[in-house]
Amino acid sequence: MNPLIWIIPVLPLLSFVLLLLFGRRLKEASAHVGALLTLGSLVLSIVVLLNQWGGEPVKETLSWLTFGETTLSAGYLVNPLNALMLVIVSLVSFLVQVYSGGYMHDDDRFPIFFAYLGLFTFAMLGLVLSPNLLQLYVFWELVGVGSFLLIGYYFYKREARSAAKKAFIMTRIGDVGLFIGMILLFWQVGSFEFDEIFAAVEAGEISEGWITLTAILIFVGAIGKSGQFPLHTWLPDAMEGPTPVSALIHAATMVAAGVYLVAAMFPLFQASEAALTTVAVVGGFTAIFAATIGLAQADIKRVLAYSTVSQLGYMMLALGSSGYVAGVFHLTTHAFFKALLFLAAGSVIHAVHTQNIHEMGGLWKKMKWTAPLFLIGAMAISGVPGLSGFFSKDEILAATYADGRFGLFWIAVIAAFLTAFYMFRLFFLVFTGESRGIQEKVKESPVSMTFPMIVLGILALIGGLINTPFATYLSDFLAQNEALEIHHHETRWWIPVVATGVSLLGILMAWLVYVKKKVTRFSESAPDLHYILLNKYFIDETYDYSFVKGTRALSYFWYYIDRFVVEGLVGLVTGIVGWFSKIGSRFQNGQVQLYSSVAFAGMAILLLVVAWIGGYLT
Amino acid sequence: MTLDKLLSFDWGMMAPEFSIVITAILLSLIDLFMPNKVSRKPLALLGLAGIIVAIVFAVLQVGDPVGSILFDTYRFDSFALAFKLLFLVATAMIFLLALDFEGESKWAYRGEFYYLLMTALLGAMMMASSADLITLFVGLELLSISSYILAGIRKRNFHSNEAAFKYVVNGGIATAITLFGMSYIYGLTGQTNLYAISEMLVDPRVQENSFLVIMAFVMMFVGLSFKISAAPFHMWAPDVYQGSPTPVTTFLSVVSKMAGFTLILRLFFVIFLGTQGWHNQILLDAQPFIAFVAGATMVIGNVVALRQRNIKRMFAYSSIAHAGYVLVPFVSLSLIVFKTTWFYLLAYLLMNIGAFAVIQFVTSREKSEDFTAFSGLNKRAPLTAFMMAIFIISLAGLPFTAGFIGKFGIFMSSLGTGHYILASVMIATTVVSYVYYFNVMVQIYFRKGAGNRIRPTAGLAVVMVICTIGTLLFGIYPSLALDFFQSGFDINDLFTPSE
Repeated sequence: MNPLIWIIPVLPLLSFVLLLLFGRRLKEASAHVGALLTLGSLVLSIVVLLNQWGGEPVKETLSWLTFGETTLSAGYLVNPLNALMLVIVSLVSFLVQVYSGGYMHDDDRFPIFFAYLGLFTFAMLGLVLSPNLLQLYVFWELVGVGSFLLIGYYFYKREARSAAKKAFIMTRIGDVGLFIGMILLFWQVGSFEFDEIFAAVEAGEISEGWITLTAILIFVGAIGKSGQFPLHTWLPDAMEGPTPVSALIHAATMVAAGVYLVAAMFPLFQASEAALTTVAVVGGFTAIFAATIGLAQADIKRVLAYSTVSQLGYMMLALGSSGYVAGVFHLTTHAFFKALLFLAAGSVIHAVHTQNIHEMGGLWKKMKWTAPLFLIGAMAISGVPGLSGFFSKDEILAATYADGRFGLFWIAVIAAFLTAFYMFRLFFLVFTGESRGIQEKVKESPVSMTFPMIVLGILALIGGLINTPFATYLSDFLAQNEALEIHHHETRWWIPVVATGVSLLGILMAWLVYVKKKVTRFSESAPDLHYILLNKYFIDETYDYSFVKGTRALSYFWYYIDRFVVEGLVGLVTGIVGWFSKIGSRFQNGQVQLYSSVAFAGMAILLLVVAWIGGYLT
Repeated sequence: MTLDKLLSFDWGMMAPEFSIVITAILLSLIDLFMPNKVSRKPLALLGLAGIIVAIVFAVLQVGDPVGSILFDTYRFDSFALAFKLLFLVATAMIFLLALDFEGESKWAYRGEFYYLLMTALLGAMMMASSADLITLFVGLELLSISSYILAGIRKRNFHSNEAAFKYVVNGGIATAITLFGMSYIYGLTGQTNLYAISEMLVDPRVQENSFLVIMAFVMMFVGLSFKISAAPFHMWAPDVYQGSPTPVTTFLSVVSKMAGFTLILRLFFVIFLGTQGWHNQILLDAQPFIAFVAGATMVIGNVVALRQRNIKRMFAYSSIAHAGYVLVPFVSLSLIVFKTTWFYLLAYLLMNIGAFAVIQFVTSREKSEDFTAFSGLNKRAPLTAFMMAIFIISLAGLPFTAGFIGKFGIFMSSLGTGHYILASVMIATTVVSYVYYFNVMVQIYFRKGAGNRIRPTAGLAVVMVICTIGTLLFGIYPSLALDFFQSGFDINDLFTPSE
């Protein structure tokens, strides 16, 4: 056992326990405890990543439970993919904890917030290190619990409560798929271990149909966690949580867990063309679907939330198009720039106390750090050449094209245009022009908040350099994993040009509409369309009228069944048991002769029964 | 037998037994010459030391090849050793309980108590090691007779007297039935050695009388069901458990019961499987019979426990129910039976001794054995309350405790061999058991109790803590115990006759 590795998730767990026990006494020093312990995880994660560079995958397990021939084990697995994830998770978690030290200042339940962050980080790191599906599932659920607590942190707000509940239930729907897929795989392979499953797939021990079925069921789990259509509706609502939480959970970690799951199970998906197509189509559709909704939202965090859904769709599209490297690469760069955007948005909200972008404006001069950092994030996500998002998005487009999915390719291009447009709509409305309604004096946020943003800003700027067409570090690193067949596809020269073109076009459009006001806003030119987008295609309403109301009606029915039929039966059963119990204790009358008679009678009956069953009486 | 022959046996193998014998003799001599007024506490410590020495010897024997002495009547194999270790550990903890039990002044004859516990333990160990009907019976009686006296050791206590009387009468009848069954076996085969009997059973002359063999089987089983308090010989248990001093109750419900299971496993498996393998017709015929006994025991134990208010009585029924669970793997007839039974008994040892330690603590402080004595325990002794909660959760068989893993193993063994009815009975009665277990839990956590903070003595605290740690450790990481059993004890050598 290498203590270097297993201690990575233990440190945040320690933070959780310590803050739960001593949080009241530590007060705002809790932030230091949490951040320092997570920093420890970050340092260790970086060491692990460096060891992985050119090193061998490490897997160590202890047998946990044995019954019959099967052994369930617990342990950890480090390969290039999860070494990278370890660094992303611990880095973003560390920065978010530093940031929260400033953002959550004066909150009544300050230590509890950091305790929850510790629990969540522990769960996420544990998930990443899991060497088998069962352990992954345990941590997967624990991540769900962590996010439930964090989204519902402002539990006194009704919206926060219902958002937390919604997030939990919607992701649970996906989890059922994952669970069934996991059990079916276990049934087919006889093991939960990743390597054994992949070996069985490779050896052709599982039929094509089973592979497709289990892969799609596992993907259903990923759909829930990563907010893909049609289970995406929880993610925008989850913005009711504190903004740092949005940066941690809804940019870099929990939502990425779904993408990670598909990437970690990639050899299974690769074995089934149908499963890959499902992933690609769901991803591509989500990418453009969420991007269009992002065009019309007025809440700064909701725009970012839909943008996250759309970007996660991109990652799924990449994975579904066999673009393993592209998907993981975009996961990495997205973690940087989206966390940056959320933190910057938090900084704005912290300063102006509103989330409505139509009430903001003219903040460029007042927020000397936040504004340029937000611009960097917006440029990165829009795919402005040279920034991180440009390279990863380019890689995805290339992978999709190389895989022959031309329809999805053009959808992705249009989504890229929309992304650039709505991001700069956001930027121009918030930072340029004149203030529209903010009276109070706007102050830049404290260093504890700007510092994490600067770190992320640098990463968003240069993060793309880890995998450019000229130097494929990440690709080579990930290719160390021998279970994968990584396709190298030639980037066609015109793909980056098209990508750059649509991105700049989007920015230009946004400039014309919102700064120059040369083009009428489409809320005026196409009010009906705008209305539909503003209401998110009425998906929530549809769900409300179909599933929620339907379930409620059904639940009334079952309530009465339960009330009168089931409870009646239960009453009957408990009555009978109680009656037997009464008879039994009456029978025990304290007389020795009775006890012995019972023994003799019992023996006589048993002898008779045995003789009868054994056929000795004939 | 000449002296030379006697000396030629490898007596070293008996080191754990000798430690117990010597300690018992020392204890009785010291007690004899000690002035009446002097505290008997050092005797308990001496007894404890003797058991620890025996544990050390036993641990050193792990992995030794099969050996036997006295013309193959007394065997040293992995099976015997694995169960002896459980007896020794359990009795060591019971000594700690006894140290705390009631004041010196109230309870004379404490010296006797300690060395009778030793001889009872010796009897249990003999039962685990015997390979001959005669030594086996001697071990059984040594355990039984010591236990009769132990149950009545509070001579002036009415309940204790009642317990001892009922125990003797029922025990006598059980012994008679067992012996009667054995006599059939002897009559049919002319042998007393288990392995020789096993060989004789395939003899055509014996096979013609297979009805008599199965009758002998049933009679021995019913007689031995007394020791494990299984139906139909379970009715003594509540009265005896209630009347005996709590440490003795603990001994009866844990060590004596484990010894009964050990004896049943060895007797029936060696006799009926030794030469004929798993497809022995008699065992197959007996399967539904054992299944019926197991099911009836689970139902009776759990259902009648519902109405008990006396906590010791409630736990007596609970212990009857657990005997039913442990009989389940016996129905499934495979080598797994040893592993699942051993692990379940280990879990049972930890959770039951732990629970009885808390019961002893609470009933002696509250001067009441009603289960409402536990009300508000959480306020008066939070740590003890928490540990009791763990024992209860484990006894109820909920996850993250050794009790769950044990029960899960038993459940899987019955499902795996297609005994679906038995498995469902097990699930149903387990659900019933939640009611009375959680009644105690409700008292501890949700009922207001009067009184100040109370604190267990050191001996009790040690037992509770060890049991809590064990219950949780083997619940979260059961491989620790299972691997120890798997690697240290080759159960197959149960069937290899020694040279």
